[in-house]
Amino acid sequence: MADVVSVARPQRWDTPFGPDMTDADVDELLRRPEIASIDLDRFPAHTPLAGILRNDTRLVRFAPGDIVVREGDYGNSAFLILDGGMRVVIAPSLPRNLLGRQVVERKGFFDSVAQLWRNSWVPEIRDRPGESSRMVRDADLRGSARAFLQDIPAIIDQHRTASISAGTLFGELAALGRIQRTATVFAETDTLALEIRWQGLRELRKYDEGWRRQIDATYRANALKNHFEENALFKGLRSQALEKIVETTLFETYGSFDWHASYRQMRQTGGDVLDDEPVIAREGNYPDGLLLIRAGFARVSVKLGNGRRTLTYLGAGDHYGLSALYDGWKSGEAGALDTTLSALGYVDVLRVPAGMLEEHLFPILTPAEVPRVGELVARSLDEDALMEWAVEERYVNATQAMLIDLQKCTRCDDCVRACAATHEGNPRFIRHGRTFDNYMVANACMHCIDPVCLIGCPTGAIHRSVESGNVIINDDTCIGCATCANSCPYDNIRLVEIREETGAVMTDPETERPIMKATKCDLCEGQLGGPACVRACPHDAMHRIDFRELEEAAKQW
Amino acid sequence: MVSSRMRVYLMCWLFAVAALGIIVLQYVRIDNALGDTSLLTGYALYTTLVFLALFNLRKRLSMLPLGRASTWFALHIVIGLLSVVLFWLHTGTFWSLGLYEQVLMLLFYGACLTGITGYAIQRIIPARLIQTEYEVIFERIPGEIAEIRAEVESLILRCTDVSGADTLARHYTETADWYFRRPRFLLSHVFGTQAGEHWLHQNIGIVRRYLRDSELPYLDRLYELGQRKNRIDQHYALQGLMKIWLLAHLPLSTGLITLATWHLIIVHVYAL
Repeated sequence: MADVVSVARPQRWDTPFGPDMTDADVDELLRRPEIASIDLDRFPAHTPLAGILRNDTRLVRFAPGDIVVREGDYGNSAFLILDGGMRVVIAPSLPRNLLGRQVVERKGFFDSVAQLWRNSWVPEIRDRPGESSRMVRDADLRGSARAFLQDIPAIIDQHRTASISAGTLFGELAALGRIQRTATVFAETDTLALEIRWQGLRELRKYDEGWRRQIDATYRANALKNHFEENALFKGLRSQALEKIVETTLFETYGSFDWHASYRQMRQTGGDVLDDEPVIAREGNYPDGLLLIRAGFARVSVKLGNGRRTLTYLGAGDHYGLSALYDGWKSGEAGALDTTLSALGYVDVLRVPAGMLEEHLFPILTPAEVPRVGELVARSLDEDALMEWAVEERYVNATQAMLIDLQKCTRCDDCVRACAATHEGNPRFIRHGRTFDNYMVANACMHCIDPVCLIGCPTGAIHRSVESGNVIINDDTCIGCATCANSCPYDNIRLVEIREETGAVMTDPETERPIMKATKCDLCEGQLGGPACVRACPHDAMHRIDFRELEEAAKQW
Repeated sequence: MVSSRMRVYLMCWLFAVAALGIIVLQYVRIDNALGDTSLLTGYALYTTLVFLALFNLRKRLSMLPLGRASTWFALHIVIGLLSVVLFWLHTGTFWSLGLYEQVLMLLFYGACLTGITGYAIQRIIPARLIQTEYEVIFERIPGEIAEIRAEVESLILRCTDVSGADTLARHYTETADWYFRRPRFLLSHVFGTQAGEHWLHQNIGIVRRYLRDSELPYLDRLYELGQRKNRIDQHYALQGLMKIWLLAHLPLSTGLITLATWHLIIVHVYAL
């Protein structure tokens, strides 16, 4: 029998958000009006308010010009200004170079050809740090660096901005909804802010009526109606009916925001993913509302033998439970769910009460508009095996997974050479990865729908390109902290040591450690003709795909 | 449904056959007028050879939007096959008498044969590699084998420590060590026979009866590692084969283009 080692069970607050938070800080916070108004008794004994403040928040000081949140960033925390003032940039947005973004210009014909002789045999050559270093404030003792704006008066002069002062909470929708920040906020004066990570924010919203009302009201006012209007199911509804639905819709969150950490661990140690997935709606239960996926992914499965079979997966904009509710309304008898819905990592759900649907939606809905799972159940296991695997491996998150058909691939590495030829001689992917039957998903950035690598980048170097939607890294502002590489659940980001043209590794004069940069596939952003790897494959073995379109695309191959 | 690959090949065949048809018509017209057809067929053949060689250039210019390499590859195959027809049309024989012509023909036939062999290898081997249910990058194979060998050696040492017997260790140093040292049974893997698996099974089987119960789990693990090594050997042999044919095709093709160019110059200097 294997040896058993007894260890303390990991607890939620084993790793506080701010390790420097003291009891005095917590006491001070509890006296502030925004916190003092919270009813302490509503919090359960295992999650007291003081515990949340101690473990899920941290105090952050910003100097004038420091960028607090950037438009387009993904973040997992909100900010409550305690002292000082900040400014939110309304319009026009700050130029991308000021935000530490990369401005990618498409190469011309001659620049493209010149790569033939400009590419070096020495790997990862860079210029010495120059312009970029002036945009990033030095790392403090905790290792956090920050991008900052140099000329605040000019920015205020040239952009419409609004001042926000002590007591203002911002960033909560992006933190809870896992959506991009919609505006840039920077410190105008020396400012003290309370940064609340999403777990703490979720608890505050859950146990305190005031915070819930404030967060929900902001969401309802800013985004919810738009969300319904964009959904094809609600297109036929009149504005008044839609408003009633918006008023009564409930917000729910399942799974962990940091799903990538537990998922990586699970991949390394093995184990059944399905067992750990939080169930949103269970097969056989009666539905009390329509579930709309707002962010993240959910798996639709049915019991089969001793396990569960995945029928499909749902992403943002998809809905679940309509057929059971509709059939129940038609027949006058409550209909049970014929499938189970579980969270794939993290999922944000809107629950539209059944009563609202019966009153406003069902009367205008025809039976043909109600999707059924019968067709999916009728498919053979073999037909769905690839999709089941893709869901299991979370490749459904990909918009541009590098799928290689091993039946055609001759392992000639023309794709790798093409990648190197378009990236100064350095390939940005590894032609190796997980395989299923004759398919391999290679270790190349998948440009995820839910890009967890973007969360926590201190300088905003890794970001989504405004033009293409691809996830790219601005090499100039990357400080090599490895946050993105550690977050990527698929190991598709690599840290490399940068070198001078002579081949000498650049080192930090203070620590004498090599200077690192994060690198990954950028889908040949700026190159003529798109991803060189796909075009270079002589056997059409390589494809960049979204797994949702796999079946249709595979028919063409 | 017609796959995009088939569509591309179909288009390439249509294009190539049409081009060949035009050349043949012209050939008949000149021949009927008792003209010299060798210039027409010679230039047509030389053009196809240059086009075939451009495929290699396309690979190096992957940063330019020069069309998909798969389309170039399809054209390379189709035009390569039709160049054989052009070649016979140009020479009018399967084997010439002059030494220079014979060298040219040898290079042409060599390039064609290695090309066709290479194409067959590329169509057959990938499917066989999938059946190993293992995937490894060719350049990493020596490292993988070294890792397996290190694990095997530490396993044998542990076995000796735990059981106090050196039977398995002696057997390993006498025979199995040979197997784990480098890729083995390469020809067998190329031809799809199971010599490696058979050898391993035999080698493990003959020592089993002499081992104590405490040694058996180590032998089983040794067998597992041996099977993994066998699959890596298979990859080494088959991936190697997919690379090695080019070492014949490329020099032959380069030689052919060089001599054909010289042939063209000589013809223009002395024959016209």
